[in-house]
Amino acid sequence: MLAAQLGPLAASLFSLMAIASLLLAFVMLGSRWLTDYLIAFAVQSWLIACLSAAVGYYGHYPELYLIALLTALFRGMLLPYLILNIIKRQDVDREVHERLSPSACMVIGALLVLFAFVVSGHLGQSLGLTGTVAVLALTVMLSMKLIGFLMLVVRSEALSQILGLLVLENGIFLGSQILVPGMPLLIELVILFDLLVVVACFGVLIRYLLAHARTSSAHDLRRLVG
Amino acid sequence: MTRDVLLQIGQVITVIALSPLLQGVILQWEERVQRAQGAGILQPYRDLWKLFHKQGVVPQTASFIYWVAPIVAFTCMLTVPILIPVLTDFPLPESDMGDILGGGLILTLGSFLITLAGLDSGSAYGGIGSSRAVMLAILAEPTLILVFVGITLLAKAMLPFVVNHLLVQQPAVYWSPAHLFLVAAFFILLLVETDRLPIHSSTHIEVYMIDEGRILEYSGPLLALLKWASMMKQFILYTVFCNVLLLPWGLSHLGTAAGALGAAAAVFGKFLIVALMVVFVETAQSRLRYYRYQEPLAASFLLAVLAIVANQLR
Repeated sequence: MLAAQLGPLAASLFSLMAIASLLLAFVMLGSRWLTDYLIAFAVQSWLIACLSAAVGYYGHYPELYLIALLTALFRGMLLPYLILNIIKRQDVDREVHERLSPSACMVIGALLVLFAFVVSGHLGQSLGLTGTVAVLALTVMLSMKLIGFLMLVVRSEALSQILGLLVLENGIFLGSQILVPGMPLLIELVILFDLLVVVACFGVLIRYLLAHARTSSAHDLRRLVG
Repeated sequence: MTRDVLLQIGQVITVIALSPLLQGVILQWEERVQRAQGAGILQPYRDLWKLFHKQGVVPQTASFIYWVAPIVAFTCMLTVPILIPVLTDFPLPESDMGDILGGGLILTLGSFLITLAGLDSGSAYGGIGSSRAVMLAILAEPTLILVFVGITLLAKAMLPFVVNHLLVQQPAVYWSPAHLFLVAAFFILLLVETDRLPIHSSTHIEVYMIDEGRILEYSGPLLALLKWASMMKQFILYTVFCNVLLLPWGLSHLGTAAGALGAAAAVFGKFLIVALMVVFVETAQSRLRYYRYQEPLAASFLLAVLAIVANQLR
């Protein structure tokens, strides 16, 4: 396994990037405005792209450079651009409405990170990986997934929900880059295009919701229509 | 042995003598940043001198707590410098009385008595100030504990001297994400504890006051003691931040007189750097609504948790 046999410099580089992307997930959790959120998401995607390039460099996987380029282009530029377009064109509210205040969300997020910390600590112990980047990557992956779920739960707008979904996906991608760097190229490409399809579908869904129900918030969708 | 005792006394005297200067520098710089003239960096000394020569006025409703609180607060601030590395990087006599948690306990004891004194006289402002200070303390305390846990995981010890040595000797630990996140978390705590949160304006006596509200009933020498105690608390927290976490270099190794004097100068130089950051944050950060006071604390809590998580590597 690559992550268990890294030198100290590479290990600290990896850990810094992983922790920085976790910090950006918290920036998204605590931000009130959708544009801040999108900027944080774009920066996080660029960080993950750098991370996959670094994995490619240290583990000698040339195809990971291509993945890094595609990640930066798709997640770092195209997806935020598409979502900004949806916000502009559909006249969706630019403020994120939440059921909990940002600070309460952050504290719950911190507790979720502690949970992920304990879980991955146990996993690392049983696999004999204690003290390596692999455990840290596992923690970051699990906590980003949990934070994504938290965003899906506390935000009711359709647009905010897709943002939660994207964070969740970023977490999985980050973990997979460090933990199983030798994935076939095709799977990574499929994941990238999958995301594009998801965002496009949500764009259509929001347009449909606004046209038929006059709202894109899951709060107001209470009536069953046959 | 005598030398060590003298050095220990020197540590306490450094804190007593230089804390008003630190306060003066911060206030002067804030004035300068806002393009005002400022009262000069020696103004806190003049204020203390003036207050010590005034007559005290005691509210009729005051009980013995009113008299005890300033003295206990001042004594607590005299005790804490014994436990932490102010001038030397080796433990001095009696510095094994308590670890970081012990120092935190004594600092909180002083603050607790001032809170009681605020409630004691029964004035409305004292009550408001006390309730706000307690609310902030309740929110800051878990973060403080988490920062201590992070430090303990980093250095495998709770003694400030051990942490200092570790950071000086191992640059890899100094630049590790765990340590950097601890520094960031402690910096926010520093702003909270020295009453510089971005929720009240820089003029002190106004509606959103927190620490000033508690001591509004005091006057004369007792007020001087309280003000001095709060300046010393600021100095002590800066010392912990600089000498233990952020800039652990420049302390006296051998304990000679020249070394101690140099260390005192170096400590003040380091404080000027931190004070510059504090002034920058206070000026650049826009004032928040009062009821958003929990947001910086939530961020600090989060950074401490991330520091603990980052400790997994190693």
